[in-house]
Amino acid sequence: MAQRAVWLISHEPGTPLCGTVRFSRRYPTVEKRAKVFNGTSYVPIPEDGPFLKALLFELRLLDDDKDFVASRDSCSHINKTSVYGLLVGGGELWPVVAFLKNNMIYACVPLVEQTLSPRPPLISISGISQSFELLFGIQDFLYLGQKNDTELNTKLNQLPDLLLQACPFGTLLDANLQNSLDNINFASVTHPQKQPAWKVGTYKGKPQVSISITEKVKSMQYDKQDIADTWQVVGAVTCKCDLEGIMPNVTISLSLPTNGSPLQDILVHPCVTSLDSAILTSSSIDAVDDSAFSGPYKFPFTPPLESFNLCYYTSQVPVPPILGFYQMKEEEIQVKITVNLKLHESVKNNFEFCEARIPFYNRGPITHVECKVSFGQLEVFREKSLLIWIIGQKFPKSMEISLSGTVTFGAKSHEKQPFDEICIGGTAYLKLHFRILDYTLTGCYADQHSVQVFASGKPKISTHRKLISSDYYIWNSKAPAPVTYGSLLL
Amino acid sequence: MGPLSREAWAQRLGAFRASPSAFMASPEGEDLGRDLLSELRSEKLSEQTKVSLLALSLEYPAQLWPDAATAEAAATSLLDTLVLLPPRPSALRRPLLLAATTALAAGDALGPTSGASRRLLPLLLGLASGRDLGRGFGPASEQRPLQATACECLRELESCKPGLLGGCLGLFRGLLGQEGPVQPLSLLLALALRNTLVIQARARAGLQGLLVAGDTPTAGGPWNWALAEEGDAHLQPQAPSWPAAEEEECGLAVLEPNPEEARELRAAVAQLLDSSYLLTPVAQAQLLWLLGWALRGLRGQPPVLFKPQLVRLLGTAQLTLLHALLALKAAFGEALFTAQDEALLLRRLTLAAQHPALPLPTHLFYLHCLLNFPENWPLGPTGEEAAPLLLAPRLCRGLLPSLLHDPMALLARLHLLCLLCAEDEEKEEKGQDWSPRQYLEELLVGLRQRAALDGGPQALATLCFQASYLVVHCLATQPAVLTPLTHGLARLYRTRPALAPHFVDLLDRVGPELGEPLRAVLRQEVVSRPGRDEALRWHLQILAKVADGNAPSATLSFLQAEAAHCTDWGLQQALLQVCRALLRAGVGEGLADLLQALARQLEDPDGRDHARLYYILLAHLAGPKLGVALGPSLAAPALTSSLVAENQGFAAVLMVQEAPAPIRLSVGPRQAAGAVPVLRLRVEVLEPVYSLELRFRVEGQLYAPLGAIHVPCLLPGRPCRPLLLPLQPRHPAPTQLGVRALYTTPAGLTCHAHLPPLPVNFADLFLPFPQAPDGDKQGFFEELWDSCLPKGTESRLWCPLGPQGLEALVSCHLEPFVVVAQPPTSYHVAIRLPPDSRLLLRLEAAQVDGVPVALRTDDWAVLPLAGDYLRGLSAAV
Repeated sequence: MAQRAVWLISHEPGTPLCGTVRFSRRYPTVEKRAKVFNGTSYVPIPEDGPFLKALLFELRLLDDDKDFVASRDSCSHINKTSVYGLLVGGGELWPVVAFLKNNMIYACVPLVEQTLSPRPPLISISGISQSFELLFGIQDFLYLGQKNDTELNTKLNQLPDLLLQACPFGTLLDANLQNSLDNINFASVTHPQKQPAWKVGTYKGKPQVSISITEKVKSMQYDKQDIADTWQVVGAVTCKCDLEGIMPNVTISLSLPTNGSPLQDILVHPCVTSLDSAILTSSSIDAVDDSAFSGPYKFPFTPPLESFNLCYYTSQVPVPPILGFYQMKEEEIQVKITVNLKLHESVKNNFEFCEARIPFYNRGPITHVECKVSFGQLEVFREKSLLIWIIGQKFPKSMEISLSGTVTFGAKSHEKQPFDEICIGGTAYLKLHFRILDYTLTGCYADQHSVQVFASGKPKISTHRKLISSDYYIWNSKAPAPVTYGSLLL
Repeated sequence: MGPLSREAWAQRLGAFRASPSAFMASPEGEDLGRDLLSELRSEKLSEQTKVSLLALSLEYPAQLWPDAATAEAAATSLLDTLVLLPPRPSALRRPLLLAATTALAAGDALGPTSGASRRLLPLLLGLASGRDLGRGFGPASEQRPLQATACECLRELESCKPGLLGGCLGLFRGLLGQEGPVQPLSLLLALALRNTLVIQARARAGLQGLLVAGDTPTAGGPWNWALAEEGDAHLQPQAPSWPAAEEEECGLAVLEPNPEEARELRAAVAQLLDSSYLLTPVAQAQLLWLLGWALRGLRGQPPVLFKPQLVRLLGTAQLTLLHALLALKAAFGEALFTAQDEALLLRRLTLAAQHPALPLPTHLFYLHCLLNFPENWPLGPTGEEAAPLLLAPRLCRGLLPSLLHDPMALLARLHLLCLLCAEDEEKEEKGQDWSPRQYLEELLVGLRQRAALDGGPQALATLCFQASYLVVHCLATQPAVLTPLTHGLARLYRTRPALAPHFVDLLDRVGPELGEPLRAVLRQEVVSRPGRDEALRWHLQILAKVADGNAPSATLSFLQAEAAHCTDWGLQQALLQVCRALLRAGVGEGLADLLQALARQLEDPDGRDHARLYYILLAHLAGPKLGVALGPSLAAPALTSSLVAENQGFAAVLMVQEAPAPIRLSVGPRQAAGAVPVLRLRVEVLEPVYSLELRFRVEGQLYAPLGAIHVPCLLPGRPCRPLLLPLQPRHPAPTQLGVRALYTTPAGLTCHAHLPPLPVNFADLFLPFPQAPDGDKQGFFEELWDSCLPKGTESRLWCPLGPQGLEALVSCHLEPFVVVAQPPTSYHVAIRLPPDSRLLLRLEAAQVDGVPVALRTDDWAVLPLAGDYLRGLSAAV
């Protein structure tokens, strides 16, 4: 399992090439093996220029995608994974693992230790998952904590040295590039015996453990008889353990209050040393019943130096935090809208912020708004065809607020107004954005007293919680709306 | 070139990286490799610049040092540079080791005869063992990173030359047990172990105590290349990384270690697995792949050693770890995973494929894994994507597609949905509120709505057609799915005719299940709505694809009505393409009128010419030939110019091609009867031949011209009745017939071939006289005999007889012409030779070795021929 080459390409629409190779690295010893393993189906790694062109074409990132091109747009040319075949130099280079994130294309070509014709299934190629880890690793390194382009450039300049550490011969040794950076800096420290490879050096200083639970709630609400509303909580537990010693052991327990919603679909960090089978098997795929395991969820682990995600989970809470409906009716050049939102009584009524965004797609600019809100203020962004209803920090005592009125639009001009492929005709949504600090919807918390640390010194333990909305949609109930299969199973 | 400054080097490296091939082709490229090596020792350049030079050599050794000799020299130079470094800390040692390794491995220089290899290997092994190599190898602070680097270098060399480190297994085990860096040593040991096991298994040899620490190569001592030589032949593609079910298939022979070896091996594997938690997740995954592969071919090595790791691995979200787990699953199946384990793994995979905390590429990969899941007891055909048996539809609910998904996710999930629909069809319709099929239909409607958006991106249309294709591909046998799909697509076309290229592409790719009904509805859609000019070119493009023999009159009226709107060249060509499609489909009636009208009426001369050409073809060629003439060009690959391509097609099809004859012709036994001599020709063919015409030509003017013979069809291996060729001699003389064949091949080409000449022998011309009416044969013969003179001539000659005697000779050759017979001694023979000669023979008083023959003929010219004939008879018996 090894990589033949890796690239970072910035996507620059509007420029002649539509992109620039920001970084590339080839592995000639792996390439040599590829030649032997692939035999007659071997296609050499192209130079950066041709690769850039072929990749952008395949990913539809060139500016001229207006016309039908059979080699890309044919109905039988189906890509179901982020793995592509690129036509370069008369052959097809495959498998090219590539994805676009934040205008940066991450790409690499893993070694396939057999002939490529017929193409083996991806699951059988050991280098494929390594490709993904390498690219995710580079992505994390570039974007975690990165604020501006200068910082990005600095990090890009560090990449050759980092890959020389983390992937000297094309075989990835550590996907955590920050570790490799520290490794370079820590080089002078003599390592004691049995130092984990994922932990460079040791911490010296005041012991402390910080645990933060962030829950995101998403929802799709339709206000329709035959379509069920859906909502889901996704939690992430992030830890930073500053503890002395090479391998300090820590156990964190997540607890739920008596009426809390069980955690499901738990995925843990690889540093977790053992897992209760109840944690492993509680899954949202199965119907939840009262006998579901409801904690405490114990995670024994040996922490790395850096901040890491101890675990992720999902949960099905009994009700969505905010239930609402949105009615929109088209009347020639104007639409009539009514919105009603109700905060559930069990939810902490103390927001960091709360607002509802009501976009109008595939229409002209807003020319006139005549709306009344029962609470909060309404902001109008005419050119963006967007209304923002700022609800603020608290819902009123009644817990229920409403908006109604009419919005008038001007003539549509294709370039300026937002296009959306889903919001056609009456199909429309409003999206809620809110954040509540020191609160989780599931009730999940990490009790300071339940944190066990087997290391020298008594650490200071701090815990944080917050709830954030994410993809919280309320669809216009007066028109068709996109549904998931789950919504149809009433 | 003199020493360069840092900036100059930066510029040079930049130019090289922009296009290595262009740079190396330029005069500057020639010295780059040499300059780079010498600059590494320059005292003017900073370490950072030198590191960037080394980085270049790590990436492009093949360009810098293109053959084994230069690679060897480069590695030697790099090693020299390394040794000459001053004993203070330096950032160069590590990249120098990497660069020397790369140069040797990538340059094909690694081997027992290479001096650099003999220096590098002991050096690496010494560093990896943590031995003190003296002050030249840096301060103590650098030892630890150099030790890890040396391990990496050794591992790369072992990867490129399997078996290289077979003799060091014991050493590595020992180091791992002591204080060596865990990860590099673990990976190195695992790889060397895997390779050794594979090589030894192939050689049917045991482990030979290789796992026990013993004599390891020491610095300066000879390196053991035996295993590497053995393994060299095995860096071959026959061993797939995904263990197939059959071991023979992947060429992995089965190794049976003795109990002692088995115990050592188990201990080594357990040692590696026990400390695996100290490795980074990606390294753990590599270790599992390697060990899984190593143990797979071993008898008596139960994979339970892996069991303690499984629960920990199942819990993580790490892509490589779950992937490695799937590899173990594929390698060991039920031996490691019970049915319950399999179910749990499947559930974890299912939830990981939709877990909101994971990114999209990960979801997609897990979905792929689900559809290619290595089941313990797979039911379906291998190599085809299918939903695993244990993946109940209930578990898939969260994996079904919706319009909100990204295109790739939508297609991947759609595939799963289609598989569920296919299963659903097999079961009873359950009367559920929402069957997967209904959901599928709704989804397709949504996709079409989006594709219909005017001015929407190409990608949306492509997605809609890809989804349609996928559905047809999976559910081709379900009319309940295909019917609404067909009509939905027709509606989509009505809304947005600009999608015509997508429709044409779809029609090209799908089978008749969707193709036929879709053609019909699209044709109907187009011809029933004439007169919209902006969509005309799309309509014509569609019609050219779907026009066939069905309802041609509607199509023709549409074309007639639209011809007036075809004002530019493009539209006229599109119109003519439809005519062409109709021509191919064999539509004659009405089309001739249209083509004639077009030949007059079109503005563009090219269009008129084409119309005229089509008209001429229609008027002159029979249906099947027309189909072939207008079919895709067989002669040449697609050319950019449609006209040239089309003309090439015509040229190939309408011209007669010279070809080697696939026909064999011979003369069969004759039947002397009738008014003229007739040759009975036997014919054999090597390939199917249609519309065969055989033409014959006689040398000189001996015979009247011969008519051609026509055979509609000849197939190899199927007997054919003899072909009769009547001869009309002007003189009774033998000759040769020249033969040519004209025929049509199965591909529709007309070919022409010369066949070997056919001989016509003298005897082939013999005809009997009509019988005497009153039965007085003797009188009849005597009358003929007498009539020959005085115009003719008489001769006597001796006809030698073979062992069978006179009777056999006569019955074999002269039977039909015998007038009076007194067997076995006397025969009177009368032969008619067209056009009007006669030959009379009296064979009487035969002796043992011959018979005297008296012959008379009324044609002097016949005499020598008759003599030759009679003398040749005995030989021919």
